[in-house]
Amino acid sequence: MRWGESVFDIRPVLFANGLLLVVLAAAMGVPLVLDLAAHGGTEASAFAASLAITGFFGAALAFSGKGSGHFGLGARQAFLFAATGTALAALFGALPLVLGSRHLSYTDAVFEAVSGVTTTGATVMTGLDQAPAAILLWRALLQWLGGAGLIVAALALLPMLRIGGMQIFRVENSGKTDKAAPRLPRLVGRLLMVYLCLSAIMAIALKLTGMSALQAVCHAMSGLSTGGFSTSDRSLGAFSDGARWVCAVGMMIGGCSLSLFISRWRGKRWRILRDTQVRWYVATLLGFTLALTFWYWAVDSKHPLAAFQHAGFQAVSIISTTGFRLSDDQGWGGFPQVAIFVMSFIGGCTGSAAGGIKIFRYEVLFAVSRLHVARMLYPHGVFSVTFNKLRLPEAVLRSVLGFFMLYFSCFAALAIGLAAVGMDPLSSLSAAAAALGNVGRGIGPVVGVAGGWAMLPVAAKWLLSLGMLAGRLELVPLLLPFFPGFWKH
Amino acid sequence: MVDLRPVLWGMGLLLAAFAPMMALPGLADWLAGDPDWQVYLASATFCLFAGLVFALGNLSQRTRAFSSRQIILLAVVGWVALIVAGAVPFIFGRIHLSAADAIFEATAGITATGATVLRHLDGASPGLLLWRALLQWMGGIGVLTVGTAVLPQLNVGGMQLYRFETSRLDDRLAPRALRMLGGILSVYLGLTVILGLLLWVAGMEWFPALLHAMSTISCGGFSTSDTNVGHWHNPGVDWVILVGMLLGGAPFVVHWQIVRRQWHMVGRNGQLKGYLAAIILASLAITLWLVLEQNAKPLPALRHSLFAVTSVMTGTGYATLDWSRWTGFPLAMLFLLTFIGGCAGSTAGGIKMFRVQVLFANARLQFRRMLHPNAVLVPRFEGQTVTEGAAESVLGYLFVYILSFALLAMALALVGMGFPEALGAAASALANLGPAISPDLGPLSSFDSLPDAAKWLLAFAMLYGRLELFLLLALFSRDFWQD
Repeated sequence: MRWGESVFDIRPVLFANGLLLVVLAAAMGVPLVLDLAAHGGTEASAFAASLAITGFFGAALAFSGKGSGHFGLGARQAFLFAATGTALAALFGALPLVLGSRHLSYTDAVFEAVSGVTTTGATVMTGLDQAPAAILLWRALLQWLGGAGLIVAALALLPMLRIGGMQIFRVENSGKTDKAAPRLPRLVGRLLMVYLCLSAIMAIALKLTGMSALQAVCHAMSGLSTGGFSTSDRSLGAFSDGARWVCAVGMMIGGCSLSLFISRWRGKRWRILRDTQVRWYVATLLGFTLALTFWYWAVDSKHPLAAFQHAGFQAVSIISTTGFRLSDDQGWGGFPQVAIFVMSFIGGCTGSAAGGIKIFRYEVLFAVSRLHVARMLYPHGVFSVTFNKLRLPEAVLRSVLGFFMLYFSCFAALAIGLAAVGMDPLSSLSAAAAALGNVGRGIGPVVGVAGGWAMLPVAAKWLLSLGMLAGRLELVPLLLPFFPGFWKH
Repeated sequence: MVDLRPVLWGMGLLLAAFAPMMALPGLADWLAGDPDWQVYLASATFCLFAGLVFALGNLSQRTRAFSSRQIILLAVVGWVALIVAGAVPFIFGRIHLSAADAIFEATAGITATGATVLRHLDGASPGLLLWRALLQWMGGIGVLTVGTAVLPQLNVGGMQLYRFETSRLDDRLAPRALRMLGGILSVYLGLTVILGLLLWVAGMEWFPALLHAMSTISCGGFSTSDTNVGHWHNPGVDWVILVGMLLGGAPFVVHWQIVRRQWHMVGRNGQLKGYLAAIILASLAITLWLVLEQNAKPLPALRHSLFAVTSVMTGTGYATLDWSRWTGFPLAMLFLLTFIGGCAGSTAGGIKMFRVQVLFANARLQFRRMLHPNAVLVPRFEGQTVTEGAAESVLGYLFVYILSFALLAMALALVGMGFPEALGAAASALANLGPAISPDLGPLSSFDSLPDAAKWLLAFAMLYGRLELFLLLALFSRDFWQD
């Protein structure tokens, strides 16, 4: 059996992966330059070597896949690219961490890079406050690029793949333009522009609150991409109140559908205010903020304003799947812990860099539950579910519901797997939720504290890396290649 | 507005039928010379009186057919009425429970959950023990009735799949369903007697044997000892109770079919296969872990893990040892098994095996649909097509179940429970398991130290889980009260 004939053409996949690695290699140039210019080049050799290796493999892959003549990706190729591209980016992104002065083990480096590329933010590195600037910048860059990649994928790739009801976000459906093909690249360009501008604004705002330039840039990149890597072991606990507020707003925007910001430029009314998904998102944030505020005020006897600030930051940090911390959550009592665990399953809006199940699926799920009650009372009635005033076809409902089921199955499997390799039950539940939802912040005495992820067994780190990848890819691209029908015609 | 009179008539009948049962523990206490017999007798009289008032006051309704709203309302109101009536002896008896404790205990009884606020059971009066077991046994009857006759008719959570089973051969649905229900209940009675005899043969005294038989077959899990089944240190007793729980969590239609020697129907039951496979696989995995990690002896480890897995999946809650003190893998496994639960049409709780199977069939279908976007694909379960409405109902059920769990866990944490306890207790109450998969609220512990608010919340959750969520949720829908 030869590739490309009896199965399907994988050369476009190779080509796309090659391009991705070349971009990654170019990105390695940034910390390299920083290191050479400002910090005497202690990490320079590591980044230069990684750049060379990544660039070489990228070019080789691109050339080996070039001969196919057409570069369009079909559904299966897109699945394969989504899975291999993210995994490769993480593997090569780990190189500077292994080769650099920190000398992480390969397991740790891959965990860290996967956590970066998937914008999870779980870190195995401690002593971040004294870490070389190039390494800190590279971690933030990984998250920023991962976020950009996801935003592009959510627009271009996932709707095509019909994962979990994403087909309703197909570009072709959303407007009245004549041609779909030329619109997509333009939209992607605009979206990346929005992403870039928002990051720049956030970085400047953070600088104004008193952070150093490097800290401001790093936090802006990992905040807007809902990643959550910080430059300090104490995360945002090490910075001023102003910085916390800026980060909270940044994370909140990072969890919104970024495409809604474009409409302003096109002369339409503020679409973002009318989008039901954003409304639900804000309502969810408010709900959890108020509940947490009540707890901090009534049980922890904090001042109401301080309680509100603390609660709002927590809620935004977890629901947008960023995972910035203010302090370790030990000794807070039960409610914040349970709330964080529950919030890990929510996630931001589609079209953002946030992970999790996503708000729009919850909207659909609530509508289906209401439908269920209606069916009990009127067995012969005809009902329909709408989203943003669009009627949803049956297939979309099913795939949303199927996704929900798949998500919880993966969560259960991951939690059992983690417990089997030696983690305690509480930590394994929490770590599985935090990894699959790309939150990156667990609870409890192990994964809830700074540097906790580093203490996990090696097998657990690999399982969690897999979980982060699966969560980031919305599960299906990672599972589908194991489905026998995938390789058949 | 729904006409309430038929509902009150039905509730009156239930209460009137409940009263003679309440006299039985009075008899037991009288024989044992315990003064509590007066409490049971008084409660029974009161219950009979209230029942007759409701029934006779609405006697004109006895020939009217129930609408689906009235059936939903009767299921909810009837269950609540029995809980309140069942709690009366706990309040006025010698143990003098507070209102929250008594309602919690009665709810845990009649929903066949099995969480308890009592301690020192070994010295309790025979009337009290009998009353707790009787509550569970009657609860089991209620569950079977609702599961066989009500849920399939109302399309709750995909249960319409089981409607066709009864009406495949003829159109006269009601008499057939009634005959089936009669058969199932006689099987229930028969199995209780057999289990009681076997436990007696295995070495229990006849009184605890009878009580354990009643709370085993109903997947309840009230024991007569603080150390639970482990009190007897008798592998024979363990195995009998293990088999009893297995039977209780299996579809009772299967038992009825076995009695009628319809073996081919039994073999075709996909739910039964999935249920047994899940129990065996999970127990083997836990046994392996216990042998490898804790150097346990293989055979006792197998017996204990099989017992724990069966107890958790069927929502019984019996324990040969405190399995909530297992660490790591077994604990995580048991916690997740709590959600799956037993089979539909049994006395077990949880999401139910057939829903899990339909969910997996649907997920497989999604994969195929992604690869072949234009193919026409239909999910199948047990050889029949799962209609769109049924698949959606099942998935909607899963969502509401998980959502309720999350809200309940947060509410429990808000009233002061810790993270593991809140999660464990919420999962356990919703699945009608009883003891929580967390060390402080395990099968050998008591719930008495919880805050009152947590007890009320858990009691509500048990009822909510027992009514398959949607019977209770329907009451909160605006459509329910409008015409």
